[in-house]
Amino acid sequence: MIAEIFRFELREQFRAPLFWVVAILFALLGFALMSSEAVTLVGGLGNVNKNAPVSVVAAMTVLTLFGILVITMLISAALLRDFDQNTAELYFATPIKPRQYLAGRLGAALVASFAIYVLLAFAMYVAQFMPWIDPAQLGPKSIGPYAWSLMVMVLPNLLFTGMLLALLAVTTRSILWVYIGVLGFITLWAVSQTLASNLDNVWLVSMMEPLGIRAFGRTIRYWSAAERNVQLPALTGYLLGNRLLWLAVSALLAGAVFALFRTERTGSRRGWRKHKRAHVPMVALPAKPLPRIQPVFSASTHLRQLWKQFGFDVSGVMKGIPLIVMLLFGLVNFIGSSTAMQSMYGTPIHPVSSEMATLLQGSYSFLLVIVVLFYAGELVFKERQAKMQDVTDAMPVSNWMPMLSKLLALVGVIVLFQAIGMLAGMLVQLAKGHMALEPLTWLKILTAGCVPFVLMGGLAFAVQVITNNKFAGYGVIVLVLIAQAAFGALGFEHKLYNFGSWPNAPWSDMNGFGHFLRGQLAFQGYWFVFMAAMLLLAAAFWVRGVDGGWRQRVRAAGGRLRGPLGIATVSMFALFAAIGGWLYWNTNVLNQYHSSDDVEDLRARYERDYRQYENLPQPKVLSSNVDVDLWPEKQSMTAEGRWRIVNPHATPIQDIHVQMGDMRNLVSIDFGGQVLKLDDKPLDYRIYRLDKPMQPGEERDMTFRVDYHPRGITNATAQTQFVENGSFFNNRLFPQFGYDPNGELQDRNERRKRKLGEPRRMAKLEDTSARQRNYLTDDADWIDFATTICTAPDQVALAPGYLKREFKRGGRRCFSYAMDQPMLDFYAYLSARWQVKRGAYKGIPIEVYFDPRHAYNVDRMIESVQKSLAYYEANFGPYQHRQVRIIEFPGYASFAQAFANTIPYSESVGFIADIRDRDKVDYVFYITAHEIAHQWWAHQVIGADVQGATVLSESLAQYSALMVMEKEYGRGNMRQFLKYELDRYLAARGSERLEEQPLYRVENQQYIHYQKGSLVFYRLRDELGEEKLNRAIRRFLDTHKYPRPPYPTTLDFLRELRAEAGPGQQQLITDLFEKISFYDNRVVDATAKKRADGKYDVTLELHADKRYADGKGKETPGRLDDWIEVGVFADGGTGKERDQRVLYLKRHHVTAANPEVTVTVDALPTEAGFDPYNKLIDRVSSDNRKKVVLR
Amino acid sequence: MLKLQNLTKTYANGVRALDGVSLEIPRGMFGLLGPNGAGKSSLMRTLATLQAPDSGTASMEDGSGGNIDMLRDKDVVRRQLGYLPQDFGVYPKVSALDLLDHFAVLKGLTARGERREMVESLLQQVNLWDARKRKLGTYSGGMRQRFGIAQALLGAPRLVIVDEPTAGLDPEERNRFLNLLAEIGERVAVILSTHIVEDVTDLCQSMAIMNRGQVLLTGSPADAITALDRHIWKKRIDKTQLESHRGRFNVLSTRLVAGMPVIHVFSEDRPDEGFEQVDPGLEDVYFLKLRQQQLAA
Repeated sequence: MIAEIFRFELREQFRAPLFWVVAILFALLGFALMSSEAVTLVGGLGNVNKNAPVSVVAAMTVLTLFGILVITMLISAALLRDFDQNTAELYFATPIKPRQYLAGRLGAALVASFAIYVLLAFAMYVAQFMPWIDPAQLGPKSIGPYAWSLMVMVLPNLLFTGMLLALLAVTTRSILWVYIGVLGFITLWAVSQTLASNLDNVWLVSMMEPLGIRAFGRTIRYWSAAERNVQLPALTGYLLGNRLLWLAVSALLAGAVFALFRTERTGSRRGWRKHKRAHVPMVALPAKPLPRIQPVFSASTHLRQLWKQFGFDVSGVMKGIPLIVMLLFGLVNFIGSSTAMQSMYGTPIHPVSSEMATLLQGSYSFLLVIVVLFYAGELVFKERQAKMQDVTDAMPVSNWMPMLSKLLALVGVIVLFQAIGMLAGMLVQLAKGHMALEPLTWLKILTAGCVPFVLMGGLAFAVQVITNNKFAGYGVIVLVLIAQAAFGALGFEHKLYNFGSWPNAPWSDMNGFGHFLRGQLAFQGYWFVFMAAMLLLAAAFWVRGVDGGWRQRVRAAGGRLRGPLGIATVSMFALFAAIGGWLYWNTNVLNQYHSSDDVEDLRARYERDYRQYENLPQPKVLSSNVDVDLWPEKQSMTAEGRWRIVNPHATPIQDIHVQMGDMRNLVSIDFGGQVLKLDDKPLDYRIYRLDKPMQPGEERDMTFRVDYHPRGITNATAQTQFVENGSFFNNRLFPQFGYDPNGELQDRNERRKRKLGEPRRMAKLEDTSARQRNYLTDDADWIDFATTICTAPDQVALAPGYLKREFKRGGRRCFSYAMDQPMLDFYAYLSARWQVKRGAYKGIPIEVYFDPRHAYNVDRMIESVQKSLAYYEANFGPYQHRQVRIIEFPGYASFAQAFANTIPYSESVGFIADIRDRDKVDYVFYITAHEIAHQWWAHQVIGADVQGATVLSESLAQYSALMVMEKEYGRGNMRQFLKYELDRYLAARGSERLEEQPLYRVENQQYIHYQKGSLVFYRLRDELGEEKLNRAIRRFLDTHKYPRPPYPTTLDFLRELRAEAGPGQQQLITDLFEKISFYDNRVVDATAKKRADGKYDVTLELHADKRYADGKGKETPGRLDDWIEVGVFADGGTGKERDQRVLYLKRHHVTAANPEVTVTVDALPTEAGFDPYNKLIDRVSSDNRKKVVLR
Repeated sequence: MLKLQNLTKTYANGVRALDGVSLEIPRGMFGLLGPNGAGKSSLMRTLATLQAPDSGTASMEDGSGGNIDMLRDKDVVRRQLGYLPQDFGVYPKVSALDLLDHFAVLKGLTARGERREMVESLLQQVNLWDARKRKLGTYSGGMRQRFGIAQALLGAPRLVIVDEPTAGLDPEERNRFLNLLAEIGERVAVILSTHIVEDVTDLCQSMAIMNRGQVLLTGSPADAITALDRHIWKKRIDKTQLESHRGRFNVLSTRLVAGMPVIHVFSEDRPDEGFEQVDPGLEDVYFLKLRQQQLAA
């Protein structure tokens, strides 16, 4: 019996065209994922192959999430078809048992679903053999990963989602509710993901996530590229736990499905709410005649009808279950996410309105896409769905009235939805004790946030009207959505042909939407006119009365278009074309438009044509004096520079090669007589032949003038450097000399496509020629610096150096700065309206320039500056400047950057951090300390432009900041911070694009010089002691202060370090700096025995292992000869680690893989640890501690 | 009141819904009789401005001596129209009061006080007053039909078109409903389509019989019946005789009475011994016209 039901159902499933549409779509997607560059889901990064086993698994697993929508279709078809088509009673009047029916139907639906994934796997497998794939991106082609994915990930996920959907289907018997349930599931899934950013609940999140995506991600998080390319995870730990848990849940769900399945007619059982459906008979007619009221038709009648219909439609939508469900899910998602708002290190941020509004957009408002698409269809077909069209179409209303009112209703729903979100957002702010609600900020951000939905809704509406078929309409809109995403990926990046795209205006509390709004509004206007034109066209196709088919509709539309409607439509399309032409003139004539492919081609040509000049001797700057005239109101800047340059080389300089950085704004340049020999406009590369060559050692003055002013609207977001409030730019806008290797194409695959060979790497540590320049610039060593900057009368402008003079010139406010000692050729200008807070350290003034709304952490920053200066002066040497300035700039970039005595600090990285909770990482304090440390590490000593250079600036700054933090917060709190550093280091090395380097050869890889740097130096401090380490660092600094070529390298640093370290620590330094080493340490067993004297003997069976990895992650065993901490702890009463009492903590010399240690402690031990504070780089840090068993 | 000439409509699938329909419809109740698919609904939708014919004209007196071109001046027609379609739905989650009020605005009753008076009075008239706040989704078929007539009577329609309004009503309701219609028909033109012959006999001063898009007969029911006087014969026969009788006589209808077929036959004279003469009814007219058309084809 089951077999027959199964067979019949499977045939039905395979016969449905939708099944094949979806199956082919999935197969195409899989094929594209594997064989094209344009489509990516996961993996394919850097050294990870396109067909790496983990990439295959990840892609197939993530597709089970998208696939839920498909499975919903198959499952609900199998279970609800008979109830929908009223064939149920035919079935259940036969002798089949409900469970046979259910098992057959469900089984067939699941098999059909599984078939889709088998097809997907097949398409992905076949795609690897396509000839156009770069073979370097492919590993061995094996069936294994596909089979593994299908069995371990896809099948359990199908069982779980299938049973969940089946449960929804049998309990609600409504496809709408099944879909609502699916939506809810996906929303809750997304919410659960936001909780995952906190490192403390890894286990919980890995287990809780039913599809295993997170468990899988967690398992491979620390895998190197080499491992990712050949291995599949073992079925243990997170993964096994997760799979078993959800298989068990699936079994429970299946039980519930069978238990709750009913065969009765819908509504024949007693429901939880009584449905009144009583009949009121028509009794005798009252004698009273009807009043004769003559309707009035005047001009205002139309408006009243419109208003009434609008209100009627809006309330109809707002009362609809799908909308309410979506609203509730959105709110749950938003409020859930708002509890986990943070930017770094798990530290929360203040719920300022701009952040809340942005969060609202991402977690709540995005649902409006579904809302408008769904309700565009619902509204257009509202009357016809209710079979009321004959009544309403015969009403005396104008032809345009119903369409206009529905359109307005759609807009009204968007506005209402956003307003509800705003209200919720404000309540959340108040609940968090944040009183500055800034309604204007909310309104601006949310109003701008409505536009995409209005455009999408309008287009969907027009499409629904024109196609006159709800599902065709949905289909067209889904195609539009796909095109929106695909165009960019395929290299069609111009916004003129991608519906609903525009140069996005980023929000900054300091600068609002600023001048970015112009471009955004212009493009939005363009698309708005397009939408209006489409709607007018649609109005011609609006069906009133009986729908007589396409031919009749086209004829009717033709008739309507011959009137004023046609004139309006044509004019609107003409306006669209005119705006498009104007925009094209702006983006492609006034400005330059390059697709990213074009840009890559240009960079390839740059390398081909000019690399020959790489080693051409070029002058160096000795002093710089620049007059800057900044116009924040007009986002313009002109500068006149006078530089003194020298020829430091042994040969004369005949040609000077000049390039500009991001902006091509050089108006004139004069080296004292020259001819422009080559002017490569597309690359902005110029060669000047000097009238009189610069002789070796010769100095001369040169001048230049740059002039930047915006020229209309650009296709990309406008420049972020000159803005109304918060300009921030640096000397990259001034001329640069010679070929710049940084201009070369970096991406390995893009290079291979253009036959450029391997990407350039940093010069080898041993390369002596590269030591002639520092890693910041080749254009100068140390310069004398003075500058004048004029800005808007209500703004302050800042630059490195000390204020010499403030004056007015032509109504502008001007400031002259000069530095009293040589500094790096690296300076920035800032201008804004700030509030200033002052402090001091030993007579050194400290100033923080900040936006008045962002005063939260300003005092903390000043404190950090004071404590940093104190530590650094005591341990490394004097601070070279007489002033420290921290300056807030708009969050168009999220970093802080140290210039001489000047530290621009983004509004998005610390100004709104909520550091009131002392348990959280105070990254405001840390970042400030790090930037102050750069005044020593970069501005006093700077490395040569070779491998390892950033150790001397970034890693040393990390170490310095760690020490200041430790003094402030104590050793116990450092682990909180270092845990994040360890996690980020281990996670980032898996996606290394080229080659992981040991620390002393780091090639500007951030995860190495920051994260690994922190770990290495902190361990070094533990082993050598703070005093010894600081002595070595100080000696290095003293030897190399303000270096001239040849610049120092890590070899110089390691020499000092090794000199300070004992003979037993030399291997440690090798392991930390010169090798990539990992430990696998764990407590195997910990037992305690009470002694007669009341003390306890704790016996620990430990496991230790050290391995070395090469740049691709291939590992070899290392020899254990390390000092590793062993600790025994007693419960502090709270169960929290930080309250534990340390009974024993001592470094042990470990030379064997399985050491056994017995220690005696005074009190009852609860936990024992081997490297309990995770100071060693260990990929499984959770097994370093174990509960002690008392015998 | 209404004058239709040569209205023709062919659907995309080739069906000729209207095939040269010409009619004059006076004030009062006008019955449109015909089997399923006769073109009644097509004609009514055409008059209700919902469907444009392929050819032909339709005009309506505007009450002040002029004429309205119903096919062109649709807006003018709609302002004086009350229409109850054959098969219509409601928004299930809206109350009768709200929806009727909404329709009233669409019908041009924009003054709040007047509208309220009208809506309340109509709800009382169709006896939905007590149920006015209930969601329409909870209404029974009969109640929904009454709501339909209420909305058709909003404003002051001069032309009321009701398409098979009594389908789904129980006999009691049907009577009340028809009474209400008759009362309205005293003042305005009411076009009532049905395939229930008695409705027309009982209510309409004039009528038309339609089939396959053509008007087979128009005039007053009484005249049509009178024309058949002494031409209708009845006979009770055995089931086995049915075929032979069909071949020999002009059989209009067959009905089972106590399990035995009773046939009506049209004939100038008594067809044979077993037949007895009966008074003609409108049903006989109806069947005769259909049969004549069938034979002519």
